[in-house]
Amino acid sequence: MILYNALFSKKTIIIGIVLLVAFLLLPYFLTRFYIYLLALIFAICLLATSLNMVLGFGGMYQFHHAVFYGFGAYAFALFVTKSGLPIWIGYVIAPFCSALLGLVLGLITVRLTQLYFGMLQLSLGSLVWAITYRWYSFTGGDDGIHGIPIPDLIGSSTGAYYFNLIVTAACLLLMYIIVNSPFGRTFQGIRDNPERCEAVGINVQRQQLVGQIIAAFFAGIAGTLFVTIEGSVFPDLMFWTFSMETLIMCLLGGWFFFMGPALGAVIIITVRTFVGIYTEYWTLILGLVLMLLIFFLPEGVLSLFFKKDVPSEKKEG
Amino acid sequence: MEFATNISLASLFQQVLVGLSRTTILFIVASGLSLVLGVLRIPNVAHGSLYMVGAFMTYTFASLFGQSALGFWLALTVAPLGVALISFLVERSLFCHLYEREHMMLLLFTFAFSLVIGDMVKLIWGSDYRSLTAPLFLQGSFSISGFPFPRYNLFLLMMGPLVAAGLWFLTNKTKIGKIARAAAVDREMVGAIGINVSGVFAAVFVIGCYLAGLGGALVAPTQNITQGMDHAIIIEAFLIVIIGGLGNIWGALLGALIFGLTDSIGILLLPQFAIVFPYMAVVIVLIFRPKGLLKSTW
Amino acid sequence: MLQVKALQKSFDGFLAVNDTTLNVEKGDVVAVIGPNGAGKTTLFHLITGQLAPTSGSILFKEENIAGMLPYLVCRKGISRSYQVVNIFNRLTVFENVQVAVLSYRKKTFNIFQPAKTMAVSETRKILGSVGLLDKSEMTSGSLSHGDQKVLEIAIALGNRPELLILDEPTAGMSPEETAVTLRLMERLSGELGLTILFCEHDMGMVFSIASRIMVMKQGKSIIQGSPDEVRNNQQVREAYLGGADQCST
Repeated sequence: MILYNALFSKKTIIIGIVLLVAFLLLPYFLTRFYIYLLALIFAICLLATSLNMVLGFGGMYQFHHAVFYGFGAYAFALFVTKSGLPIWIGYVIAPFCSALLGLVLGLITVRLTQLYFGMLQLSLGSLVWAITYRWYSFTGGDDGIHGIPIPDLIGSSTGAYYFNLIVTAACLLLMYIIVNSPFGRTFQGIRDNPERCEAVGINVQRQQLVGQIIAAFFAGIAGTLFVTIEGSVFPDLMFWTFSMETLIMCLLGGWFFFMGPALGAVIIITVRTFVGIYTEYWTLILGLVLMLLIFFLPEGVLSLFFKKDVPSEKKEG
Repeated sequence: MEFATNISLASLFQQVLVGLSRTTILFIVASGLSLVLGVLRIPNVAHGSLYMVGAFMTYTFASLFGQSALGFWLALTVAPLGVALISFLVERSLFCHLYEREHMMLLLFTFAFSLVIGDMVKLIWGSDYRSLTAPLFLQGSFSISGFPFPRYNLFLLMMGPLVAAGLWFLTNKTKIGKIARAAAVDREMVGAIGINVSGVFAAVFVIGCYLAGLGGALVAPTQNITQGMDHAIIIEAFLIVIIGGLGNIWGALLGALIFGLTDSIGILLLPQFAIVFPYMAVVIVLIFRPKGLLKSTW
Repeated sequence: MLQVKALQKSFDGFLAVNDTTLNVEKGDVVAVIGPNGAGKTTLFHLITGQLAPTSGSILFKEENIAGMLPYLVCRKGISRSYQVVNIFNRLTVFENVQVAVLSYRKKTFNIFQPAKTMAVSETRKILGSVGLLDKSEMTSGSLSHGDQKVLEIAIALGNRPELLILDEPTAGMSPEETAVTLRLMERLSGELGLTILFCEHDMGMVFSIASRIMVMKQGKSIIQGSPDEVRNNQQVREAYLGGADQCST
């Protein structure tokens, strides 16, 4: 633990503990709906943060991150419903399935950079989606899979809440450590200047491939958390528009901040839930907000509070 | 090939013809996307939404004339122009300020634009689907060795080369096309020799979006006009542009052909997984040619 | 140490580097000079792998590295700086150099140790030697141009190179900054025993530090020799030094 002293200031530790205690106590004061909503938010926070590991900290144009999330969810659902083995094993296997998909897609995509990379990933991800969408006999097609059994311990909404809270907190901690490791430092170097990284002896493509696998792994965990709350999976989990929404969360919170995407996820899910009560035109509002954001706050909400002397964004050739 | 035994040559031929007419729509939409991507470097996610708007507008204009033949032709002319007008206004008011931003921002901005359009369409046209019938002489079908082939598809087959020829003329023979091609290669240079790059960009953007509208207008009589048709086409269009080579109009044509034909062959072989065939073709192309089949403009 | 033989690079038929020969011995400070467009930067790109040559060979310690990928060239012991500032804009000055040091130590796939605690003394030593230690916590993108150029060199040092290639290390610098950089290069060569290959337009600087000079013109190497040989060479005087006044301004 002494090793990690450098990573956490006293302030961070105190805020972290206070937040954790608050979240641990919250279920005693909330109705079932809010407990459910928070549990969902945890899963999406984890998803958005895993996306940002490669997006904000690696500069990779991860246009279709949701495919790893959906793949994890499906891997879990299929394992649980088809294998007959203990459900807990599914929680271990699913993230590795996502990581494997990250490896396979990554091998094809990391040869390219920037927009090419992103669009190729969008295409390959859509292929995964298309197969899932059509393979009725195995994946349930566009109906998805429902009534997925969850272990009793975490089957209740409060149980799922605590499970998601603890898993998300542990994963965020782990990702924070990774982002601040030599790997993460190198990744940030690649984000800023891949050409220079090559020149200092870094195998950029391999680094990006590993980053892709790690991000896919955490996205897979987020997918299993989703199933824990919902008990079902459906192809929309890996539809490209959901990937875009996740990108928006990163943008909204601030993708140069570790906690930015999580904040973005909280804002988007909360606002969507409550605006959704009053109007069916939620996406119109989201679209307009996003436009304003791109024009006036391109570094996200957190950049309002933590001003860094960061050079303005530059377009790369 | 074993599976060929239960597929007659005629049905294959018919499937290919249907595939080709679908190719036409895909080509028209994808070429517009490719144009915008190649010259402006904008991955325009809203392209599919404009296609949807084109289809809905065609429906509305045609309905104004009681879906008569005259109304149909009028709608086919006016609806894409309407889409072009929308894109012109949006480009001049919003997009033109963003050209220097990262691709990621541009992508998200066009996504925001597509969200807004999606809900606007819902506001204006409601959530129900609409359908439009083609004029009488384009209805029905004629038979090719016993198999019916819809007349409207023949009409589509003729539109494809027309649009391709028009685009070729535009990019190779007109001043704006030449400037656009030069700007695609080196934007700063073109600006430095005193050409109004911003104006050319606006023109290219509008032409690209016009093509989305045209695709939507042409597809209107062949399928239900619904919410969600934007999401379906945009990924296909992106795939086509990628396998063809970004910004290459002929690449878009080649990509659309591959996509349309594998799709129709897929329907013959494994109807349930027909959608997977073109995607597989794309993956195979990209494994061997990650930057697309033809030379990209960048 | 480095032998470039009959090197050629053509871009769509245009020969940017044409039949270039270059010899760098261990401990040398070799300057490549020549008018704009002579192919100096292209030559450096070819040596460090950013470009693959059309033909010819590049021997580094008896091994042909022509066409090798940049990160592998770097691992052989060749580091470089760039003419146009090419740093990690959003990272701090310290982190900029640390990335190179971590890469040299093959730590880039270590995902659990905190980077803050690693390679600190070596990174600080490098920053100290180039005089950027007091700015080590600044974001590199907000440094002055001169400091960024120095940081360029510092990053290149992070890989403990045997051969250091500097592409116009003083471009855009004030005379004071140029003098400081000159002294830095002298120290690197003298104290650390680094072999340095650089190109430069400032003739005063070239002749004051270079032990050998190679002259390029239109992609060809005209002559390589000691500063005196080059200064007195008739061909060079006619071909190049006549135009040097324009270049050095």
